[in-house]
Amino acid sequence: MDLFAGMDISASGLSAQRLRMNLIASNLANVNSTRTEQGGPYRRRMPVFGAAGTTDPRNGFGNAMDRELRRVQVSGILEDSRPGRTVYEPSHPDANPAGYVTYPNVNLIEEMADLITASRSYEANATVISTFKSMALKALEIGR
Amino acid sequence: MIDLSIQGPDKTPIGSPVQASKKTSEAQGGEASFGEVLKESISEVNRLQEEADGAVQSLASGQTTNLHETMIALEKADISFRLMMQVRNKILDAYQEIMRTQL
Repeated sequence: MDLFAGMDISASGLSAQRLRMNLIASNLANVNSTRTEQGGPYRRRMPVFGAAGTTDPRNGFGNAMDRELRRVQVSGILEDSRPGRTVYEPSHPDANPAGYVTYPNVNLIEEMADLITASRSYEANATVISTFKSMALKALEIGR
Repeated sequence: MIDLSIQGPDKTPIGSPVQASKKTSEAQGGEASFGEVLKESISEVNRLQEEADGAVQSLASGQTTNLHETMIALEKADISFRLMMQVRNKILDAYQEIMRTQL
């Protein structure tokens, strides 16, 4: 139904921000993980978002204006290529022969800033949905 | 005037039968009649209700953990149901207005 196109777009935004939150949670939880299946320390992960068309198979050609609408989709999840921080810890089991341990390239402060951005973006999308709903209810009040 | 025969094809619509039948054939040739549009929109409301029901069930049974999708499905069902109720109220109002006509 065309009536809810805006809601579906905001829903894609909510999904995207939720994925971002999940990745931030993963980064923060693995801030000290020095081993992974691929070997080496954990690498910070981040999502890449892209705009995608809103194709509704039930809608056929649809409206020319509606075809210009874009929802967000996750294009991929990339690993941060920055080097991890090295700490001198000879007692650590993953220390190299020189006694240095490579910790993940996760920066706590950066992650917290990302966390706030993600939660605010989620909020913004949720606000769009509730505004959309109150607009629809206002329109229904015309008939009353 | 638009053909108001929403009760089914066997009921004779209000108004002169010749004109009404002409209107019906015209409606079938071009746009859908009001009754068909109403039926279609009611089935759309029903579809959204079922979708919301399925979303709640899959969330409760743990198949999906997508909270916002469920809430949006519920909201869609709510708004479309309210719209249907408004249309119904309007139709009933019009019907009662006609029934109140002094002959």
